[in-house]
Amino acid sequence: MADEILRTDGLTKYFGGLCAVGDVSFALSDGEIVGLIGPNGAGKTTLVNLMSGAFPPSSGTIHYNGRSVGGFKAHRLNKMGIARTFQVVRIFKTLTVLENIQASLIDRRRYGPWRLALTSLYKRAYSLDADADARQEAERLLDFVGLTDYRDELAENLPYAYTKRLEIARALATRPRLLLLDEPSAGLNPRELDDQIGIIRRINGQGVAILIIEHVMKVIMSISHRLIVLHYGKKIAEGAPEAVYRDPRVVEAYLGGDAHVAH
Amino acid sequence: MTPRTTRRLLTAAGLAAFFTLPLVVTDRYFLHILVMTGIFAILTSSWNLLTGYAGQLNLGHAAFYGIGAYTSAILATRLGINPWAGLLAGGLLAAAAGFLLGIPSLRLSGPYLAITTIGFAEILRLVAMNWVDLTRGSLGLYGIPPLTPIPITSNVSIEFTSERNFLYVLLIVLLLTVWAIRRMIRSGFGVTLKALRDDEVGAESIGVDTARFKLTVFTISAFFAGVAGALFAHYQRLISPDTLSLGETFAILTMTMLGGLGTLTGPILGAVILTFFSEWLRFVEDMVKLDVRMVIYGLLLIVTIRFMREGVVGLLVKLPWWPKTLGKGGSDGR
Amino acid sequence: MDSLFLQQVVNGLIIGSVYSLIAIGLTMIFGVMRISNFAHGDYAMVGAYVAVFVMMWLPGPLGWVNALLAAAVIVAVAGVVSELLIFRPLLDRRTDIDMIMVSIGLFILLENLAQFFFEARPRMLADPFGGNTVDLGLVSTSQLRLFCLAFSCVAIAGLQVFLNRSKTGIAIRATSQNSRAARLMGIDINRIYTLTFGLGSAMAGIGGVLYGTLFAVYPTMGAIPTLKAFVVTILGGMGNIRGAIFGGFILGVAETLGGSYLAMEYKNAIGFVIIILVLLIRPQGLFGQREGV
Ligand SMILES: Nc1ncnc2c1ncn2[C@@H]1O[C@H](COP(=O)(O)OP(=O)(O)OP(=O)(O)O)[C@@H](O)[C@H]1O
Ligand SMILES: [Mg+2]
Repeated sequence: MADEILRTDGLTKYFGGLCAVGDVSFALSDGEIVGLIGPNGAGKTTLVNLMSGAFPPSSGTIHYNGRSVGGFKAHRLNKMGIARTFQVVRIFKTLTVLENIQASLIDRRRYGPWRLALTSLYKRAYSLDADADARQEAERLLDFVGLTDYRDELAENLPYAYTKRLEIARALATRPRLLLLDEPSAGLNPRELDDQIGIIRRINGQGVAILIIEHVMKVIMSISHRLIVLHYGKKIAEGAPEAVYRDPRVVEAYLGGDAHVAH
Repeated sequence: MTPRTTRRLLTAAGLAAFFTLPLVVTDRYFLHILVMTGIFAILTSSWNLLTGYAGQLNLGHAAFYGIGAYTSAILATRLGINPWAGLLAGGLLAAAAGFLLGIPSLRLSGPYLAITTIGFAEILRLVAMNWVDLTRGSLGLYGIPPLTPIPITSNVSIEFTSERNFLYVLLIVLLLTVWAIRRMIRSGFGVTLKALRDDEVGAESIGVDTARFKLTVFTISAFFAGVAGALFAHYQRLISPDTLSLGETFAILTMTMLGGLGTLTGPILGAVILTFFSEWLRFVEDMVKLDVRMVIYGLLLIVTIRFMREGVVGLLVKLPWWPKTLGKGGSDGR
Repeated sequence: MDSLFLQQVVNGLIIGSVYSLIAIGLTMIFGVMRISNFAHGDYAMVGAYVAVFVMMWLPGPLGWVNALLAAAVIVAVAGVVSELLIFRPLLDRRTDIDMIMVSIGLFILLENLAQFFFEARPRMLADPFGGNTVDLGLVSTSQLRLFCLAFSCVAIAGLQVFLNRSKTGIAIRATSQNSRAARLMGIDINRIYTLTFGLGSAMAGIGGVLYGTLFAVYPTMGAIPTLKAFVVTILGGMGNIRGAIFGGFILGVAETLGGSYLAMEYKNAIGFVIIILVLLIRPQGLFGQREGV
């Protein structure tokens, strides 16, 4: 496929004896939204961790843009265009909301630590006070996720729902081609959910491919072009949302959790 | 007055006071206290860069200080190298040691890093004690030359044997250090350090090569401490393995915590307060014949962490006229 | 194997048993509360001074045994008080820097209070066995040292039995493994914290008496046991009690052998070299399980 951006082959991750992800193969295309679902402990987060370089796979390969990237560090993959959010938010608590974005806006492909430290001595390197472009970009992103009112608030004082959005904005600021979202809607109320769906759609509208883990079926069914289902670390189904939703194996996987699916 | 002008005025006033102080003070003992304050301010500021801003708990800062002191002292006494060059050499060798000590930080954090850094400083102290050929062991190195005079005209030159002239050199180095750290902290570099302090995994996810950033900040922090050590060597002109002791590190960290960890002015404030306070205590101790200084240090450390985590600066920021750098969340280039 | 070598191994085991005893307390407290207590060795110092005073009143073997008991009790109380006043309020702090720093504050405070109250001159605890030596063929040692070894082993074994058999002990271990799960199971976490801190400090107190018996008692003696206990704890994996037991013996033997065959001056550095190597090669400790990311 010409516009395929990521492909995994036989991706496997063991934690000690536990096989968290086993022999998972799939591909993602440019600009699509793929939902990743499965019961608790199915290995969804682990899969996202593998794709974003949090730890290396035990076996199997990951190709990104045709290049084998298995075992690449997270920062390197991010520079190559893969950004992510976390199930348990990992924002920078002592930074302001604006600074959280600013931290992402630094062009790390060009600026390593030494260069950044030394240029700061004779130039206001990436200081928001001085860099008008960066400032505009940060303001735009804040506006995009609706956090303008909170820009100078410390991130640790943000209401929970907004920390999730801040993480999304922070990830976007690195200008990704592929965005991995780990349960971005967990704990949101219905109104916030609608906002969230809107935000994700608009991100995708800018040409960013999205892999989204989600338990909230309303979200997943309404935005995914395609679904992938994990169960005990194995991929048990893949395809159009409606078809997958009725797949007996999927229903089986959620058995006892029917209520969950109907959510 | 806008906060910005207040800040500028305060800075200007501070600088003016800073540079006229050595002129108005004539008491040599008082000048000596000022010198020690300045040296500690460089140490606390550099330690704060590493531990306060980058979150890397370093309990071996005195090692960098000691490396700087010994390097410059040995170069000057053994090889006759100009002390001015020695300052740079001391800083650079300390920076190299900082890079080395940074390597364990790539895998360790919290207590593990703390104990590794203590171990590093202890091993160096033992080397300084026992490598008698090079360091004269516990006797220490003496006869270290002062900074070489700078010639102005053919028969006038500035000497650095007096406390006052030395103090000027020190103030300039301190100013450069604080200025550099301030520039770094307020740039993308500083934001990145704080990000990696707050959440390393989060920082990696936005493209921060945390390993290289940690090595860099260890190196930079150690450089400043090394220069401070070299300055001390040419001021005191006698150094011993005590410069590398845990006690020195504890003084540095108590000052910084008291002033305000992770703030720009806190470490300097802490150095001023505790250096003067210790000297004052000396008088009291002479009167009551008791050594209470360290007892008070210990208490101060506990009370500061328990009840005023932001240190003295955290209290000052609450004052209405104190200039705020940022909007709601901001305090002193936090 | 010559007899000097064996002799050093035996010496190493004796001092190692004391390291284990002190380190167990540190590792327990870390395991349960995630507190790295840099003042731990000062609890040992307090214990040693308790012994000094008890043995002033009551010399001889009986006095020594009483000293050990008194040290355990008094230091346990001191530990619990410091836990309640200093450590517990910081449990929810954002970084572990606060906890480490506050313990350093406590270390500075205790060490200097001791200098304030007790003279700097080292005191020897009188040998309750009158300096009798024991000849074991190839090696010989004093009755006192053998008794130190025996006593640490008994204390360690006693603690192990308590942790493995008693309900409270099992609750402590459960909390150490997973405090959230333990709380959900209805374990009173705060009680466990207090108990652990008390027990851990008591171990340090007893260890301090033995340490003081083997070496000397002086106000700043706490620093070395603190550092040694950290070395041992890291060697065995932080929070790992069995690791601390083995780690203590390993460090004791490594130090005496290194001290006699390599360089005496660097004896105290041997531990650091070991942990730096361990941390770089096996950060989870020799006996620890590798934690996931
Ligand atoms: N770092 C780790 N170390 C050890 N085991 C892990 C680790 N991360 C995940 N696991 C285990 O791997 C399995 C899969 O976990 P994972 O977090 O990927 O599931 P998930 O599908 O994201 O579940 P949830 O819906 O609850 O978020 C679980 O059994 C989990 O306990
Ligand atoms: Mg998950």
